Order: sequence, then structure tokens, then C-alpha cells
Amino acid sequence: MAAPLYTTASGLLFHAGKILILTVGLPARGKTHISRALERYLRWMGVKTQVVSLGDYRRKTLGGAQKLPPDYFTLGEKSPETLALRKMVSEGCEQLIWDFFHAGGQVVIYDANNGTRANRQALAEKFDKEGIHVIILESVCDNKEIIETNIRNVKISSPDYRGWNPDKAVEDYYGRIRLREQAYETVEETTWPFIRIINVGEKIMVNNIRGYLKSRIVFFLMNIHNRFRMIYFARSGQSLIEHSYKADSDLSPAGWEYAERLKEFVIERRARSLEQRGFNPSDRRLVIWTSTRSRAHHTAWPFLSSSQISPIPPTISLAPDAGSAPTTTRIAHGPSLTVKVIEKPQMSEINPGVWDGLTPDQARKFYPEEWARFVKDPYAFRAPRAESYHDLSVRLEPILIELEREKEDLLIIGHSSVIRCLLSYLIGLPASEIPAIEIARGDLLEVVPTSYGVHSQAFHFWDGPGRRGEEFESGGSGKDETNFYENYAEDTKGKKRLNTLEGGIVSQSNS
Amino acid sequence: MSDSPHSFPASGHHLSQALGAIEDMQAHASDGTIDAPVITDRAHPPILFGAGGPLLKQFDESAASSRKGSQAPTPPRSVVGIGNKVAKPDYSEAKIVLAMVGLPARGKSYLSNKLTRYLKWLEYDVQVFNVGQLRRSRARQKAQQSGIREDHGSNYFSHNNVEATKLRDQLAEDSLEMLIQWLKKGGNVGIHDATNSTRSRRAKIESRVAKEKGIHVIFLESVCNDPAVIAANVALKVSSGDPDYQGQPREEAERDFIRRIKEYEAVYQTITEPHLSYLRITNVGNEVTVSRINGYLQSRIAFYLMNLHLKPRSIFFSRHGESQFNVDGRIGGDSALSARGLQYAKALPDLVKNNIGDAPLTIWTSTLQRTIQTAQELPYPKLTWKSLDELDAGVCDGMTYEEIEQAYPEDFANRDEDKFNYRYRGGESYRDVVVRLEPVIMELERQENILIFGHQAILRCLYAYFHDLPQADLPYIKIPLHTVIKLTPKAYGCDEERYTLPIEAVDTHRPKPKVPEPEIPAASTAREYYDKRG
Repeated sequence: MAAPLYTTASGLLFHAGKILILTVGLPARGKTHISRALERYLRWMGVKTQVVSLGDYRRKTLGGAQKLPPDYFTLGEKSPETLALRKMVSEGCEQLIWDFFHAGGQVVIYDANNGTRANRQALAEKFDKEGIHVIILESVCDNKEIIETNIRNVKISSPDYRGWNPDKAVEDYYGRIRLREQAYETVEETTWPFIRIINVGEKIMVNNIRGYLKSRIVFFLMNIHNRFRMIYFARSGQSLIEHSYKADSDLSPAGWEYAERLKEFVIERRARSLEQRGFNPSDRRLVIWTSTRSRAHHTAWPFLSSSQISPIPPTISLAPDAGSAPTTTRIAHGPSLTVKVIEKPQMSEINPGVWDGLTPDQARKFYPEEWARFVKDPYAFRAPRAESYHDLSVRLEPILIELEREKEDLLIIGHSSVIRCLLSYLIGLPASEIPAIEIARGDLLEVVPTSYGVHSQAFHFWDGPGRRGEEFESGGSGKDETNFYENYAEDTKGKKRLNTLEGGIVSQSNS
Repeated sequence: MSDSPHSFPASGHHLSQALGAIEDMQAHASDGTIDAPVITDRAHPPILFGAGGPLLKQFDESAASSRKGSQAPTPPRSVVGIGNKVAKPDYSEAKIVLAMVGLPARGKSYLSNKLTRYLKWLEYDVQVFNVGQLRRSRARQKAQQSGIREDHGSNYFSHNNVEATKLRDQLAEDSLEMLIQWLKKGGNVGIHDATNSTRSRRAKIESRVAKEKGIHVIFLESVCNDPAVIAANVALKVSSGDPDYQGQPREEAERDFIRRIKEYEAVYQTITEPHLSYLRITNVGNEVTVSRINGYLQSRIAFYLMNLHLKPRSIFFSRHGESQFNVDGRIGGDSALSARGLQYAKALPDLVKNNIGDAPLTIWTSTLQRTIQTAQELPYPKLTWKSLDELDAGVCDGMTYEEIEQAYPEDFANRDEDKFNYRYRGGESYRDVVVRLEPVIMELERQENILIFGHQAILRCLYAYFHDLPQADLPYIKIPLHTVIKLTPKAYGCDEERYTLPIEAVDTHRPKPKVPEPEIPAASTAREYYDKRG
């Protein structure tokens, strides 16, 4: 369901009306993390969503904490000037919310403390009167580690603490939290539907949540966490018949070589990245997801083989995992590594339909009209019997949820079309740009989720046949710009649409 | 392509030669310089890797040598021929005790039934351990052995009745013990169907399960404060032959049952224990409280239960009208309707109108033209789902069964052996289809009147969900052409009506070879108080 199946006459999705989500919580409780994750997910579903952050707005209009009057964050009587400033900030945010709703937005997540009952009530009433559904989203955190990490990683890098000594900044921030704690009232009122998240998804309580979009939101929130983990993406190795979906051909000799190299590189790269961040790679499991296509799960095969010697420095050691499932296999590299490989049928590459096995020239020749439409809108166009990128996004939705919930380090060995969709979800790219993302074989993408989004980086590790489809095929010359040799969507470079068309989504009237 | 004069490298040749030949052939085919006339126009583009042509076979034979590049000591088996059997996903890590909480007649069994159906359909191993059943079967045994008949009237359920309370506690514990043993033997979700209405009882369950590593307990409380729904549940329980009330006049039974509820109400404690994992469902889906729900399967269960509703509605299934490929005996494809198929499409508006009158209805079709065409005369809002497309027969798409059998006799027999698990090369298995239909089921649960124009395999999967049919029989369910199947969800299953229009069509059903046809259980909305096995 995922990417929007249909839009209603009003342009809103799922007949859910407009929704304002008010976050409630002390500072450093992961409100921003949750808000941003939810925004990303709803946007990916096609719901027009916006986070309005009070903190960001204040910093933008008034500047960092050092520019504020001293009583801005303290309790008790405030000077009239401070009150005026605070009022200006909150009114400014409310205006942003209205602006977004008036411009056709459907969901606003108001990322602020909203720590007192009176304050929430006033705010909620104001929007409720205008027919907007208000949901209270409280983030509670009793895990000191989560709070400390959050402060160190996020808060003290804010402009409020530019130039501060980190430890002093942390100290100051704890002071700010303590002041807030005194006035904080946890959500007990049941006037409004509410969701309470404890320790960023560890536990969740829901009250009076009705309707599809809202239950979808809850389901999503049930699955997120902010434990540190790494996500890697790599393409499957080159196969014998690259351009046929149906043949489901096995890896070519170069593909097998690639698979071996991938394994070595992933182990090395992951170990380095983890150590840089102060983690011990041997404490952690690596989970590998592949599709059910031969070329993909065979690319994961070297991870499962146990008896080979490879030139990897013995930095990896194994924490024996007693409770592991039968699919878990250990690699014996002197010291070893715990790996679990899972095949997922939803992760097959985009289905090329009638274009399967055809070269671009042939496709254009036999299906000129379809070809023209495809080039115009590679995201939404569905060739006969084929899947569009939109179809693929819908198919991948359950995978996204599983991706959110996975706590182990993850390596996704996939097809370029699938990696494009997943990556664009993580990065937050608009749907129309998905088909154009370049995914070269031989690059390992490293994605690290953070509070505000993700850090992604590509590492090049392999140059061989099939790295870029067109080079392999014909030396890369004399070919159409929008061309491909592989399965038309599996091309390295991706398709750029030639004309900009409005809205990449096939919408259907439901009225 | 079959009449192409090009020769292919024999097996054992280096693969690149095979690939070279493919490229040559493609090049020739597209610029028309091929020796023999190969028809390649819009209707017949070159299809290279279908199981009907020689290429796939020759490719498979030549591909064997590619393994030389692999350093892997035991390279995995590659897909050859037209497909292979695929193993079930590994669910061995999922072990959950789902303990029901709620007064009698609050819809506990409704929820546990729905959930069982859903999870079984997703191939989890689920079993309900009903304490009432255990109580009755033990009492029966006792009566047989000693001749003493226990009185299971409302007195038995009174918490002032110390003796009976002890007995009932023992029963609940025994039933939990059986459940845990079953989980240890490989089950995934054991549903403890009892009232579990007091804190102390729940604490006992909690501490018992805590002793087992890897097993988690969640409580599912069903609250219902709509007197009409409760009265209907009571009436249903009494009238559908609850063995506790066998031979009793209806009114008397009802009175006793209401007294029984009163006995439970006297001690009932709703879940407030903050440390428990629980879901509270009020008036089926109207309101949901989710607390401490953790884990993939648990959150799936919660999301599913959030989407349920009790509004009366019907779900209509129909295959597309007879297509040209049906007439030709070909599978897959995207052909248009035959003349008879079009006739069916024309006859549908009257049938639908007579059936639902002016009630709102939404039509879902697949993206294939035969379903869209079938729906074209109907004046209702329509949605196209890619997920409703027919099972992808991969390399066999567009062939007849005879052609497949001729080209790949062994593979063909393999598929018949285990049709559910067989994945066509470059295509799908029934299991893959179930996975892809899961979001459709979720959506169906929350919708009201829906008419789906689907395909044989798709409707088999959906139908199996609604009637709780076992996986092995699923690929053999009869879904004839030119028939509208109407399912009306009821408390314990679905009522079914079939409307077959008198428009002839071919029969596309292939029975399971040499094995008697599975008997499709008669649709029933009655509650089964006795275990089918017992």
C-alpha cells in the first residue's frame, strides 16, 4: 500500500482528512528522530507531510541560545520582552502550520516540547475547531543512555552551542532539561487521540486511534528504533544473461569473482566503520537480505561458505550466537563472523514485462509508443506486463517496514531498481527521481541512519565486466542517452526523464 | 524462433560463445537480415527465453561451465529448466503465546479465529488451545470412566465455588502447559483461549512463560460495551449448539449463560498491569490500545487487529470473463476477452445490481486487460492493483500445458507434485503470490463492499484466506469462469453464495493428478465447539 494507490478527489490520501501531530516530550527524548522518520515514511507513501520544528524556527528567527535573553529557558516570571519573543516564535510556527495546510498539505508534525497540559489543550482546540484531526504523540525516555547519546550526538552540535566545550555544553543542556522537567506534565488527558512512545519505539501505547492512515502511522512507529546500525547496499554480481528477467540466470564467472570480492570488502569496510565509531565488529551480527533471484542470492553465497582462506586481516572475531536460526551460518576466517542470509521474494528486480530480453533498440522498434511514454515518465509508466517504479515501490513497502525494524547491521544485495527505491526512501528523494539514481556495480553504499536522516557514502571496490552495463556491452559509444543493455530498468545509470511532467504518480479517482 | 536456422553452441562450449550467438541472433532479428523469415512485429517481438523455444535449454546446458569461475566450494544450485521447488521461509524464531483476556461473549473467539486464519495463511503454525474444550473433553472422559457427571452450569463458574475454581485453575494451567510444549515442538503462535480475567491468573501465565527462553507472551483483551453485540454473541453461543447447553431449552440456556457471565464480571479485572505486553481491542477495531508490543510478528498482529471491523458487508470474487488464452488453453499472457467473455461482462451489471441494490461498491481489477474489460460495463468506482495480476508463469508464460509437458516433462511433473511451493523460473510460486497479496488482504479487511475481478491463482489464494483452507489444497480450489462468488463475513467464517451465469466457458481447472480432489468444506458460519480432530 505504500506508495499511494489512489488519491481522493480532494487530493488527500485515504480519506483521512488533515492531521496535526503534536509531539510532546522533554528535550533529547528523540522527538526529532521520530518526527523525521515519520515524515519520510508518509512522504514516501505520497502523503504531503511537513515537520514544523519550533527549535529550528527559533534559531532561524532569533539566533542561537547566546542571543536570547537569560530568562528564555528558565522557569518562573519572565520579562515582558521574553514573553513577547516566545509568543512570536510559537505564533510563527503556527503560521507555518496553517500555511502548509492551506497549500494542500495533509499532515503536519509539530516538533516542539508541548510540555504542559494547558498549552497542548489550547493548541489542539485551535486546530480542531478548523476540522483538523489532532493527535498527541508523546515521546518518553527513561533510558539514560539514549538521552546522553542524543545530547552528545545531536544537541550540542546545534548552533545554540557553537564554540562551546562539549562537556560544558552537555552540562548546560542537562540544566535545560531539568528546568523543563519541573513544569512537564505527561499526557494523561484522553481528550485527544494519543500515541506514547517509550524509548524510541521500544514500547508503544496507543489510545483512540482510528482510521487507516492513523493506524498506519502507529504501525510504522511500532517498528522504528534509533539503535545504531549500518546499512549496506550492493548490486548482485553480473549474471550470464543480464538482460533477461525470465531466464533468471546464474552468475557469470565475473559475477562469482565479484561475489568473493564483495564479501571481503564488506567485512573490511564494516569493521573499519564500526571501529571508527567505537564499536567492536565482533559483537555484532550481519544480516544479509537478497531477492529470490539466482544472481542475487548466489552473490551472498561466499558469505555462507566456511572453508576458504581469504586475505582478510583477522580483525573479525565471533560472538557465538546460541539462539540463531538454522539459516545462520558462520564463516571461519580464523576468527569468524555471524551472518544470516534471508531471501525475500518482494525484492526481485523490476519486471520488464514484454520488454524482457530485448535490447533498447528492439524495445523501441517493437513498442514505439510505449517507449516514448516510458522515456517521458520513467517512474510512473508501466510497459505491457511490466512493473512501473511505482508498482515496485508498492511491492517494496513491507520491506521498508522490515528495514526500519531491523536492529542488526544489514547488507542488502539487490538489483539496481530495488536499491534505487530503498535508497530514495532512506534519503527522502521524491518519487520522480528514483529511476535516475546511478547505482554502479562494484560500489558499496554505506548508509548510517541518524536523527535527522541518513549519512550515505559510496565505496568503490571492484572494476570488472558488468560494472556499467553499457561499457560491457559495446564500449559505451554510439548509444542513445536513455539507453540500456541490461533489463531496461536495471541499468547502472538510471533513466532521466526527458520532459518534466507533473506528478509521477498514476492517480485514480475514487469518487 | 523455433524455426530459426541458427545453430547454437553445443553443451560444454564456453558460455561467451552462447552469449555471442544470442547477441548475433538478436541483431539479425531486429534488422531483418536473418535467413529464415522470423516474424518480429509488434505482436510477435522476439521472445528469447521462453520455455517454448530452444534457447533456454541450450543455455542451461552451456551454463554449467560458468561455475569454474567460482571459488565457492559448494556452489548453490542454479535454477534450470522451468522452475523449482522453494522451501518455506524460516519462522522458527517466532514463538508467541497469545493469551486472550475478556468476559464471555465479548468476541474473544472472533478475534482469535480471524487471527488464526490470517497467520495460518501466512504459513505460521498456529493453534488455539481452548480451555472450555479441554474442560468438556476431560468431563466426558471422567463421565465415561467413573460415571460421575460434572455439573457445568453457572455454579461451576462462580468464584465462591472453591472446589470448581481450583479445577478451573488447573484446567487453565494444563492447557497452557500443552501450549508451551506445542511451541517447543515447532509451533509459532499458540492462542490460549480462556477468560484470563484476573490479574493473578495473568501473573501466573507470565511467570510460567518467562521460564521459557525465546517464548514471549502477549495478552489480547477484547472489550465490548455494546449491549446489542453482547446479546447477539450470547444468542449465537446458545443457538449454535454449545455442548454445555445440549438438550436444554433455549431460554434456560441463555439464562444460565448470562449468569455465568455475571460470575466472571464479579471478579473481572481489565488489564492495567503496566509491565505486560498487551493489546486491548474495544468493540472490534473501534479503539485499540497497544502496550509494550515488540517484535515483528507482534506488531503485524497488532496492525492486523487494528484493521478489523464488524460492519456488515460482502466481498465478491469473479474471474475475468473467458479470455482468448483460456480458449486456446494458454496460461498467463495478457489477452483480450473472447466473445463469450464479453457476453459475461455485459451480463454483470444486472447481476450485481440485483444483488446489492444501491449499496456502495468498489471494484478492484488487476492491471491485465481481461479483468479491466470484464469490469468495463459496471458503473462503480474502480481501482487497478498490480498485486492482483495473475501468478507469473515466468518462462512458461503464454504456453499451453501440453507444450510445457512436451518441452520439460520432468519439471512439469515436479510442479504437480508440490504446486504450492513450485516457483516458475523467472516467475512466481503460489507462496510468492500469497506474500504479495498480504497487503491486499489487509486492505480488504478494512474495506466494505468490494468486487474483485481477478485471476484463477489470485482468487484461489484470497478464497483460501476467507475459508481457512489448507495450503496443500489451495492450488486446486475450483474457481470457475463466469461465476460470481459472494462471501459474507460472519462471526465464525464466511457465508458463501455462487452465481453462475449461463454463459459457456472453458474449464481451466486442472485437478491434482492421481489424487482425489480435496473436498472444499461447506461454508459455515457456525461456531465449532469441538475440535475437528477430537
